[in-house]
Amino acid sequence: MLAFLRRNQIFISSCFCLLLSLYILTATARGQIKNEPVGALLMWILRPLQIAGQGTANWIKGFRDHYDTLAGFRSENERLRKRVQTLEIEWQRLLEAEATNRRLQQLLDFRSELPAGAITASIIASSATSWFQSCVLNKGSADGLRKGMAVVTPMGVVGKVVTVTGRTAKVLLLTDPNSGIDVLVQRTRSRGIVSGSLESGTVLKYMKRSEDVQEGDRLVTSGLDNVFPKGLLVGTVIKVRKQNLGLFQSVEVWPAVQAARVEEVLVVAAETEAAKK
Amino acid sequence: MKLFILFFLAGIFLVVLQTTFFHLLPIGPVVPDLILVLCVYLGLYHPSVGAAFGSFLLGYSIDIISSPILGFNAFAMSLVYLAVYLCARSIWLHHPIVSSVVVLLAALIKGATMVLIWAVFLSVDGFWAGAARYVLWEASLAAVLAPLVFALLRRGQNFIDKLTPAAP
Repeated sequence: MLAFLRRNQIFISSCFCLLLSLYILTATARGQIKNEPVGALLMWILRPLQIAGQGTANWIKGFRDHYDTLAGFRSENERLRKRVQTLEIEWQRLLEAEATNRRLQQLLDFRSELPAGAITASIIASSATSWFQSCVLNKGSADGLRKGMAVVTPMGVVGKVVTVTGRTAKVLLLTDPNSGIDVLVQRTRSRGIVSGSLESGTVLKYMKRSEDVQEGDRLVTSGLDNVFPKGLLVGTVIKVRKQNLGLFQSVEVWPAVQAARVEEVLVVAAETEAAKK
Repeated sequence: MKLFILFFLAGIFLVVLQTTFFHLLPIGPVVPDLILVLCVYLGLYHPSVGAAFGSFLLGYSIDIISSPILGFNAFAMSLVYLAVYLCARSIWLHHPIVSSVVVLLAALIKGATMVLIWAVFLSVDGFWAGAARYVLWEASLAAVLAPLVFALLRRGQNFIDKLTPAAP
């Protein structure tokens, strides 16, 4: 018996890992796993690395974008180019500081329009897999973040907090197929659900054929899901298709916020009816 | 122990790489799955109980960062490790070019597993067309990058072997 176990120990431990994964999957799907220490520990280890990595990536992105605009200077002589590059690096630093300043000012202005208690956070990592559209924030339960809080920017809705550890929070983006936001068509007040889709970007679901939806219509949060405050921009309708059969029309949406371009966000809890009273 | 530290650091490095720098690449929402390549490497060159648990933990770390439901990637990576380990036991798979093919097949196995688990646990409209696109893209990218990652890991391993004093 012992010899059999020893001979097949790798196979047996792999099977054990598979069963353990299945157990975790089922338990999470049923909501039985609330706080698990391994995740918190891992996020604690990864957080500073991700902050540093994202900082460097942002710098590279900024530098690359800026370098593109400098392509026209290539014909100038070497001395002048070196001089320009030195100044450009300095200028880039100042531009970055100014842009950050402007973004934070916008966030501050926007914060006054939201329910009290909005928390400012930075995105420190994006999704590590193509299957889910998510990101990680640099703030967690220690800063007042809770599961189910809305993540927004002055431009519109970003997503919803789905997991919180002490110092980080995972956000399910609006563009993820598993997300769903209750929205109103601003012009006609028709209701629907905006969600991501693996097939065709972001879509507006459950919009009856009889409802009047047109390209260019703006979609705003209804506030009825008790997650997002009412009236925040979610996206703009870019394509409407009515097929011959079916109850609903097919509506494609361009999200108001491109999460890949966002660095700072506000995390906010929706004002519940009880709180309003 | 030194090897464990090497693979632990490699795992953390690849996770950070996947969550930050790879999003700079102009390839849309698809992220090259180097964690999968590491799991294949472990399956090919390190058949051990520790490597099996290591693959599970690598998948689990991806779940912690990205998945709304824990266990998705942990299951897929464990399955990939087991499949590669079983194949490597019966077929000679250690040629550099063959390793790329193995990674491609492993990525397809992972993709099929993800599709299956999605279908069971998450209900999403328009799933199949999008899933097929992601599976093929991820598998191709992983296969292209596999020789480079394998070479770097082998170098790290050789470096550690040199540091370890030979038995008298």
